[in-house]
Amino acid sequence: MQRQAIAILALLGVFLAGYLTLYHYGYLGSLACGTGGCEKVQTSKYAMFMGLPVALWGVGYYATAAAIAIAGSVGSGPERAWPTTALLVLNGWGVAFSSYLTWLELARIHAICRYCVVSAAAVAVLFGLSAWDWRARASR
Amino acid sequence: MAKTVRKKSNGKFVGVLVLVVIVGVAALGYVVAQPRAGIRPVDPNLPPGTAEGYLVGNPDAPVKVVEFGDFECPACGQWATVTEPDVRSRLIATGKISFRYFDYPLDVHRNTWPASNAVACAADQGKFVEMHDGVFAAQDQWNGEATRDPSKVLRKVAESVGLDMDAWQKCYDAQANYPRIKASQEEGARRGINQTPTFIIGSTIYPGAMPYDQFAKAVEAEAAKAAASSKPAGPAASKAPSTKNPL
Repeated sequence: MQRQAIAILALLGVFLAGYLTLYHYGYLGSLACGTGGCEKVQTSKYAMFMGLPVALWGVGYYATAAAIAIAGSVGSGPERAWPTTALLVLNGWGVAFSSYLTWLELARIHAICRYCVVSAAAVAVLFGLSAWDWRARASR
Repeated sequence: MAKTVRKKSNGKFVGVLVLVVIVGVAALGYVVAQPRAGIRPVDPNLPPGTAEGYLVGNPDAPVKVVEFGDFECPACGQWATVTEPDVRSRLIATGKISFRYFDYPLDVHRNTWPASNAVACAADQGKFVEMHDGVFAAQDQWNGEATRDPSKVLRKVAESVGLDMDAWQKCYDAQANYPRIKASQEEGARRGINQTPTFIIGSTIYPGAMPYDQFAKAVEAEAAKAAASSKPAGPAASKAPSTKNPL
């Protein structure tokens, strides 16, 4: 149940991060300086991480979470324990990284991108579901 | 029995996943297909400006392109380093467009004026393109978040492009080109530019960075317009070479 919810939410996250990636590359709207908060965030130096747009890392993160959750939900997946551990570690890292990004928005960039806020909330929910899955499994 | 229940549950779950994928792909496809916001025609009633910017390419190319840019703007930097090389080799070098860069320093960028100044001083020595590229390439080293004093990095860039450094330094310190930069900025404001980069391709204003394919498409559309409008005039339409600001 928790894994299925993670899979669905993570899949939605793939499209949210995909939207931001397309935006970063200028395929949606216009990537420019001097306009709103999202533009300021997306055009800041912090929009890149290890040579790739942060949004693209987001696509990878959500896709990985969705793949693990799907693998742990279909067929004999629910009996396996490893997806619980993997999701807890991955989403724990996700919460840490998205907290860092939110701090950057508030303390360094001084702008808030609403899509980033939605993504940060989604990552927090994913972590909550992963912790719930882990507790449920531990109490069996 | 439990197996049948799980199978049914799996079926529902997979159905929801497929639905999410279909809706997600359709939503992204829809937003990608939407026309870019803010694209508008150049006001034909606006009198020509006096600012000249920096010209790259043949001034008599059939399509005139103008960029209003800010050297500290990351979107301009990304466009300059990723897309502009293609624009230069495929559109400017082939004579399809002329390209004119106007400084449009934004107030939100602390070090953009010194950068514009550094480039202007290099342009005085005929090295606008080299300095423009060098300054954008080193943007992460001299921008307002990296340093309060960009002069050292800008001087290094100037050295790397092979300038007469005494002349460049004198020019840089004297801020002799600030009026020129200000004139470009005012020209942008007069044209309602409020973000960088903004491109004027022929008779249309395109706010924001564009990937090469979109840029080339806009150029093609303007070239077709120019060809259509020049037909009735016939051979008499040939003009004397122009080096004037197209704005």
